[in-house]
Amino acid sequence: MSGGYRQQPGASRGTTRKDGKRVAGKQKFPPPGSGGSHPNMAPRDLDWIPESVGGKEPQPAGSHIHDRYRTGTSVGKPRALVDSHAKVTGQAWYGDDVRLPNEIIGKILRSPHHYAKIKSIDTSKVEALPGVLAVATGQDAPNSFGVLPVTKDEHAMAIEKVRHVGDLVACVAAIDEATAMEALNLFDIEWEVLEPVFDPKKGLEDQDEPIHWRGKYHVGKTNVQKRVFQEFGDRSLVEEPSASSHGKWRMEGVHHGFTEPHAVVAHWDPNGRLQLYTPQQVPHYAHRALSTVLDVPMHQINVIRTFVGGGFGGKSDPFPHEMCAAILSRKAGRPVRINFSREEVYWINRGRHPSHIEVKMTADEDARISGFDIDALIDGGGFASFGHVTSYYNGVLATAPYELGSFHYTGARVWTNKPASGAMRGHGAVNTRCAVEVGLDEMSEQLKVDPIDLRLANLLPPHSRTISGFRITSNGMREALERVREGSNWDRKFRQMPLGKGIGIGCGFFISGSGLPIHWDPNRFPHATVHMQIDMDGGVTVHTGAADIGQGSTTAVAQVVSEVLALPIEMIHVRSHESDTSPVDLGSYSSRVTFMNANAAIRAALEIREKLLNAAWEMIGYHPDVLVLNDRRIYYKHDPAVGVSYLQALHKAQEDKGSLIASGAYRSPPMGGVHKGAAAGLAPAYSFSAYVAEVDVDVETGLISCTDVWAAHDCGKALNPLAVEGQIIGSCHMGLGQVLSEKMVYGRTGHLQNPNLLEYKIPSVHEMPNVTPIIVESSDPEGPFGAKEAGEGPLLPILPAVVNAVYDAIGVRIRELPLTPDVVWKAISAKTKSLDGIEPTDLPAPRLTHGPLQATLVERGNEHKVRDKKRQRSEDTSAYVNGVLFGFDPERPMEDQVEGWRTAVEPDPEQLAELGLAGKAWLKQEQRHMGGEQ
Amino acid sequence: MMLMPPFELHHPKSIEEACEMASSFMGLGESFDWVAGGTDLLPNYKWHINVKKHVISLAKISGTDTISMNEIGAMARLNAIAGSDDVHPLLAEAAAKVASSLIRNNATLGGNLCVDTRCFWFNQSEDWRRSIDWCHKEDCGSGSDCRVIPNQNTLCVATYQGDLAPSLMVLEGIIHLIGPNGSREIPAEEFFQLDGITRNVLQEGEFVLKVTFPENVSSRVGSYHKLRVRESWDFPEAGISAAWIPGDGSTLRVASTALESIPRLHLEQVAELSGEFNPAQVKALSEAVMKSIKPVNNTTLPPRYRKAMVKVLAKRSLNQILEASE
Repeated sequence: MSGGYRQQPGASRGTTRKDGKRVAGKQKFPPPGSGGSHPNMAPRDLDWIPESVGGKEPQPAGSHIHDRYRTGTSVGKPRALVDSHAKVTGQAWYGDDVRLPNEIIGKILRSPHHYAKIKSIDTSKVEALPGVLAVATGQDAPNSFGVLPVTKDEHAMAIEKVRHVGDLVACVAAIDEATAMEALNLFDIEWEVLEPVFDPKKGLEDQDEPIHWRGKYHVGKTNVQKRVFQEFGDRSLVEEPSASSHGKWRMEGVHHGFTEPHAVVAHWDPNGRLQLYTPQQVPHYAHRALSTVLDVPMHQINVIRTFVGGGFGGKSDPFPHEMCAAILSRKAGRPVRINFSREEVYWINRGRHPSHIEVKMTADEDARISGFDIDALIDGGGFASFGHVTSYYNGVLATAPYELGSFHYTGARVWTNKPASGAMRGHGAVNTRCAVEVGLDEMSEQLKVDPIDLRLANLLPPHSRTISGFRITSNGMREALERVREGSNWDRKFRQMPLGKGIGIGCGFFISGSGLPIHWDPNRFPHATVHMQIDMDGGVTVHTGAADIGQGSTTAVAQVVSEVLALPIEMIHVRSHESDTSPVDLGSYSSRVTFMNANAAIRAALEIREKLLNAAWEMIGYHPDVLVLNDRRIYYKHDPAVGVSYLQALHKAQEDKGSLIASGAYRSPPMGGVHKGAAAGLAPAYSFSAYVAEVDVDVETGLISCTDVWAAHDCGKALNPLAVEGQIIGSCHMGLGQVLSEKMVYGRTGHLQNPNLLEYKIPSVHEMPNVTPIIVESSDPEGPFGAKEAGEGPLLPILPAVVNAVYDAIGVRIRELPLTPDVVWKAISAKTKSLDGIEPTDLPAPRLTHGPLQATLVERGNEHKVRDKKRQRSEDTSAYVNGVLFGFDPERPMEDQVEGWRTAVEPDPEQLAELGLAGKAWLKQEQRHMGGEQ
Repeated sequence: MMLMPPFELHHPKSIEEACEMASSFMGLGESFDWVAGGTDLLPNYKWHINVKKHVISLAKISGTDTISMNEIGAMARLNAIAGSDDVHPLLAEAAAKVASSLIRNNATLGGNLCVDTRCFWFNQSEDWRRSIDWCHKEDCGSGSDCRVIPNQNTLCVATYQGDLAPSLMVLEGIIHLIGPNGSREIPAEEFFQLDGITRNVLQEGEFVLKVTFPENVSSRVGSYHKLRVRESWDFPEAGISAAWIPGDGSTLRVASTALESIPRLHLEQVAELSGEFNPAQVKALSEAVMKSIKPVNNTTLPPRYRKAMVKVLAKRSLNQILEASE
């Protein structure tokens, strides 16, 4: 090895394994300019460089603004996640793997009552128990917190009353777990038991003692936490429908079922700063809440995100047990660990809301969708959590992908005395989406058309606006539908299979990053910031607050940096665990990380790229415009021999300055309407998906087995197809659980009957169908290299696809989830009874004979396909808003064109009488309008 | 994370030593449990259900895991039974349907027979049970009422959810028990005893040694149908076994499990066939068995549904043994 920069002591002789992988501690370090495992520059990989910049990667959806930064290094190539080695070798450190010297064990005393006032707590016996080092109750931390600034209704421990069985009452830290558990039995508490509410419908009524009190904003004396009314469009269109569907749904609550139970370690270091280790999806919110609750400035707290053993939304709230650990540790002067049992995981919950959803929809004589009328009453449990947002999402995320004549939504979220519901993969969109897609299936049956053709002829095109004002950019919905139709051999199977075998379609639409950062003004502060640093060794350290919860955000960030700088991914080191070193980040929720963090990372990398190119310019005399970055080298475009190594350029750029640093940020563009709630559901891009599911139904027992799924998801551009496929398959699994077997069972006494993984029935690998993931790439103009989300949207379509497939199999439409065998059996029994008591095995399987509208829809779909392609490729840049299908001019405000076109966020008095279940929340007035609290 | 409560584990090396150990604990008035595979007992311990001071393991006693057509030792692991060519195919089938592969590696025949009765008011953590003020099966000294059927503080209706018992019954299995007071043999259908707390005839200090079958057991044709949400590892929500010696209707036996506090052999319903068994009788017999069963609401699926499914499972089991006999 001659003339090399020795970057690693002692490595005079390298060793490579036969499979080409690196051997720990024995890496060959070739001459300057390299790094990574291979001594020589690899040729440019044209297969991974887009057509638009002279490569061979096809771009059916058109070119992208980031194309010229593609180097063919990482983007688009399937690769294992960068943290996968740590995980498969057991070296990833999850919450329970943190072990600090001298640590003691904290345990939480939980409420045995559904709803009760705490009259007194006597802790003297607890304190007297040998081995107990600290005891805390609600009085130790009276400040409230909550994930959303508008609904801070939680405390570290109950202050005045407990709101569900399992609510936190007090906590204790002791030298070991057995002592701490023994101590829990020594609290002396005087309770005044209150009348609990379990049924969300009851929550709409006035109570003597509402679960929370919101002062002048409180709705009557009810338990309504949030109510929403939204109306857009021309309601007269729905009056004489040629087809309609009216479905009342009951969906049970489901939990994320992540593998790792919550675990936290709090430690006040010798300087008096809090070091808190927790598996958090959103460390920054925990950071803020800790500061509030502990009365300590944020800079005196370091939140360390451990590896996260699955989150799915269930680890995104700041949690009271995190506060408890910090309080106990401060009192005891020693590190305190709190680990949850599975039952405690269910008690903190934050799973999907149990919901009553009613969907009415109509189609006109041309099979255009003239109206959606959605009513969603959702059961929030004891606390607000993300519920404010969920209340909106249940409606507004149904405004696409279809063009609508009108849209009407009433939603209400009520408090009940159960563990709090919150955000879960597909937040707020999943249940309504299922109801809507099943309604479309029903309408297509009435119209005697194929449900896929009904959808294809009613899609919003790329670069359009929804009825509620969401800005749609890229849109791969059509391609997704076409590809699952083909992949599943739909045209040969739908309505043609024997009784018990069925096939069904479902679509999905989801946000790719929430447009509004909850805690600050998006016009002043960015959504995401990424810092980057390169020292003399050439390794790139990337600091980001993006929380990798297994979805691969660290890999995505490393990949885009590697792509821009043309460096092997082994040279990119992402540091994201500590709030001390990570820039503020909103964390992993609303499917924002790839879109926002990767965009910020690209910007930081571009800054570094420019410095490197300028240095090379100085060294070889060619302007950066004619320089190429490729595999640790920078060279003249027309003669690769004329160039410098990456390290040479780097060291040149570092002269006088030292290490290169750069910072990149992402901020979403201004968008959306101005009505109340317009920001809910706004996103810089949206993902689209379509699934076809095939099922076998045992008509005698009602047992369903989902055998095959063709799953197409438009993620804009798959930065890492392997990770995208993983997300699709994982989403199928999670959605299948909700549609087939998972539910949180609250028995007649209101207790959660199944807080364990035996009785909470997550499908095992045995229940998994064959999933064929199909990646659709619509190249989003603002996404990093065109990418959009793939973490949540792929969950949505599996539910309606399965429900519709069950109908295809047995001709019975069931609107109760999950479709456990007893539910299916009950529906089949009702059907056989209505058919003169025939045997279930003699049920007629549904059949379809196309009506005259079928040809119309196929023709319209084909026309729209041409329209969409032009718009996707920016060959047609005319304006398009929801309503064009109904003959309106996109350039003029709708209100000017149609009398009766309405945008409303509160019901008219005359509408009050006809509102659905959740709409009843509007029958009450807020206290401030009742002459009550002002 | 669940902390295992402390107990002392004992490992007798022989049956005699085990009996002596039991009798000495009884003499001292100390409580103890037997453990075989531990897949049922230890999870319950973690929930702090009926924790005893001593646990006597049968694992180190040699010769208790024999597997043959006419005799299976209590310590035979379920996966060994499931994979054996020597046992009756019905037993192999039933054993293969128990829980998951991982659990079957440890779980034993004896343990499956003696599996504790289950109820969603009972199989919960201590905190959870405190929140319902306990229940009749494990009342923690509170004298609590049954939560499934309130206002009757006498009977425990927790459900027996073992998979193997009905198959032992229809194969005319004899259960051999041993204890400080000697050994005894008892037909499988008489081993179980109401109610959900009593469970079976085992006296204190007694344990299941082995199960034997009649000489002609191999001529029986059997079938077991199990209802559960997830085929991968759930307890049965209902299970029906049927077996007969083909052509001889008088040998037909039908048994059910996972529907009541004990598994049952349905002698009366079969007796109504008057020694004949042919396809025309399947429907009536299935309905008769269904009518004789009264499940309660304490497992995953609702009792009305489980009861209705008895008919379907019985029909499938009976049709299967008829078809297999053709």
